[in-house]
Amino acid sequence: MRFSLNEVEGTAKRAARGAGYSWGMAEEAAKATRFLCAHGLDGCGLLAGLLDRVDGADLRGFTPRSIAGEWAAASKQLCPVSAGAALSDHAALLPTGKVAMRGVLFPALVLPFAAAVARHLETPVAVEWDGARILLDGSDMELSGDAAAPITNRLSIARGGAIEAPVARSSRAAPDARDWAELNRFAHRTYAPATEASRLLGAGTALSDND
Amino acid sequence: MGAAQGTTIPRRDPAVVMRLARLGSFHQSRLSFMRILTRRMATENWKFSRPVFNIDEKGVGHAVYSAAGPQRTYSLVAFAHDLPSEKRSDRVIADAWDATFALFDGVPDAQDIERLAENVPLQEAGRVSESELSLSRANRSVRLWAHVVEALAGGRQPDLKQVRDVGYLMRTTAVYGSGKFGAADREVIADRPEMLAPFQAEMLSVYLTRAFVRDLVQHMAHVTGGGSAAVLAPDIARELGIGNSTGLGMAPYIINHPVLFNNWIMVREEAIARVRSVAVASDVEIAVFRETFQRALISIAAWHSEHPIQTAKLASLRKDLEALGRRIAGEDLRGDQPWNRLFLWAQAELGEDAQEFVASIMLEPYGALVDGLADCMADSNSDAFRIAGTMTVEQLRALVEQSYGWALNVDWDAPENCARAWYVSEEKLEPRLGERFSEPIAEYEQPLAPARDAAVLHTALAGWPDETPIAEVLLAHPEHRHSVRRAQISAIAPYGEIRDNTIGATVLPIDMLRCKLSFFGATHFDPRSDRWVRICMYAGAPYPEELTLGNEDDWVYPKGVTE
Repeated sequence: MRFSLNEVEGTAKRAARGAGYSWGMAEEAAKATRFLCAHGLDGCGLLAGLLDRVDGADLRGFTPRSIAGEWAAASKQLCPVSAGAALSDHAALLPTGKVAMRGVLFPALVLPFAAAVARHLETPVAVEWDGARILLDGSDMELSGDAAAPITNRLSIARGGAIEAPVARSSRAAPDARDWAELNRFAHRTYAPATEASRLLGAGTALSDND
Repeated sequence: MGAAQGTTIPRRDPAVVMRLARLGSFHQSRLSFMRILTRRMATENWKFSRPVFNIDEKGVGHAVYSAAGPQRTYSLVAFAHDLPSEKRSDRVIADAWDATFALFDGVPDAQDIERLAENVPLQEAGRVSESELSLSRANRSVRLWAHVVEALAGGRQPDLKQVRDVGYLMRTTAVYGSGKFGAADREVIADRPEMLAPFQAEMLSVYLTRAFVRDLVQHMAHVTGGGSAAVLAPDIARELGIGNSTGLGMAPYIINHPVLFNNWIMVREEAIARVRSVAVASDVEIAVFRETFQRALISIAAWHSEHPIQTAKLASLRKDLEALGRRIAGEDLRGDQPWNRLFLWAQAELGEDAQEFVASIMLEPYGALVDGLADCMADSNSDAFRIAGTMTVEQLRALVEQSYGWALNVDWDAPENCARAWYVSEEKLEPRLGERFSEPIAEYEQPLAPARDAAVLHTALAGWPDETPIAEVLLAHPEHRHSVRRAQISAIAPYGEIRDNTIGATVLPIDMLRCKLSFFGATHFDPRSDRWVRICMYAGAPYPEELTLGNEDDWVYPKGVTE
């Protein structure tokens, strides 16, 4: 089934929240998922994979322990949303050097944050891991190699590069049905079970509408 | 939008404007989304047609209404149903309606209609596509519908009093846009001039729905009365609006879109400041104001509600408008800054409802100063989402104190200050407001209490040295990310944050609903509870075939009683 990007973002936000992220981080995860879908990547599959991996764990074990030197997490698995948000927050680091990360889960989820940095710094940014090299200029993206890896050993982000063949944009997403169901399973955790009292009180009125 | 040249009076302070009681007293104005739409359609000479009206003797079938602008055509695809009365509910948990609609981007062909016929009547349980810009439904006002069909079928016009008491033949119970249930995302249409102002697709959908409803009631009268049925008199038809029944879904919307909400409020405040700054009013401008005031009184007089909160507000508003009438009659409006003098008098002497009424109608003579601001009401600032990590703790603290200062001394643990919690129910995923201490909802709470969360952030910042970049704080405390973002947004969107407690024991969600609906252009707010309101849209407006320069804008004010 095909979904609007608004549906993707809304579902992703609830899913990330359901998997234990703070609301602010869930917003980052949702915008990142939307960005990937809008640039033709399987954002929903990547996020579903990430949430499956971190579900039930203490998320602090997946965040960068420090931004000095190579970024790594205590669990040796770095959450790309936490690392990506930190990258965007520390965009000022990039003009003078490059950022290196180790053990990044679903590294493609870092790309939207690198794009935000590129947009902010008004300079193209290159992200590389294993065989993949991705250029971002804040709007467009150029991709070579496989962006679907579930984890990468080393990942680097640096200024530079020029986009020649941007990926096609998409205004819809067509996630795998299992991934979409998985996101909705996480999202469901944010919904309060309905009771008859909440039906009447929580939403408003017991008056008849048949008038 | 910078300060306008020639504006000598500043916009009002957000601390004054953004209180819930005031937001819940807003009235429609020149900047209402319905009026922006009808002005544009008349100015651009849009053409309207009804290529399909295929409704049977039971009132079941479909119809298509097309609106053609200079570059593009939009079509309302309407489905009429035979709804058993026990299924008639305005609540989002309903699963059948008297009529269902989609606004199609273009002119639908037979295949489109077939696809829509399989999905639109199901509403949330169906799927629409990127070719659809909105999805909506409506239920009859049972009493007025029956009366109008019966009268027309019997060769008579309906009783004007009954028409006015209800105000509409059908009320919409949801109008979904922006990517909902598969519809096109806002981005798909945001660059079109006719869709730049907020909610133009939804407003067009409701405008065409009103024409369909008029045609449907006429059709049913002909079915019953045959050749002797009367044709609904245009004057009476024009008094009929489309009702709308709105629940809590709108309240989270204005909290979740602070930049957009800011732009609506800031634009209105800018318009008010511009008109207050007018040095001298011309005789024509004064005459327009006086006439608008008199006509607005007719509308307010026809505004009924049985809800105790609204009954009291209305009584107070009417009393204030009598005082205002006396003031206007005795005031020399030709002197120095007449609108500012009137505004300041209202601020000192009248309640908030009447103050906002004055603010809205004072804009009427000044289309040239005000209407162009409509282009600034959309949210095109996607960069606002990114957190500026180099901001220091000291700077962020100052921002929090500026935008949430009132909230920092509130005891947020006191039960009366956090009595409620917003949550999403498992059932139909609708937003609800519950009692934190007597319902099992706290763990499902949505982030719709920004002031409380900002106070928590403020306390947390106390533990950090002033010069620390906020990036460092967020690395250690991602739980504050949402509040840091909002605080930074408040620097560019000073009217984006409600400066009141949204989870207190006494919060009235209808204040948020009325504020949003006033920007749509709604009139006759009639709360059904503290979180549910009925309103009227487009009452008095010309129908598509009547719309022309001359009647495109001031239709919201009744022309006078024609019994």
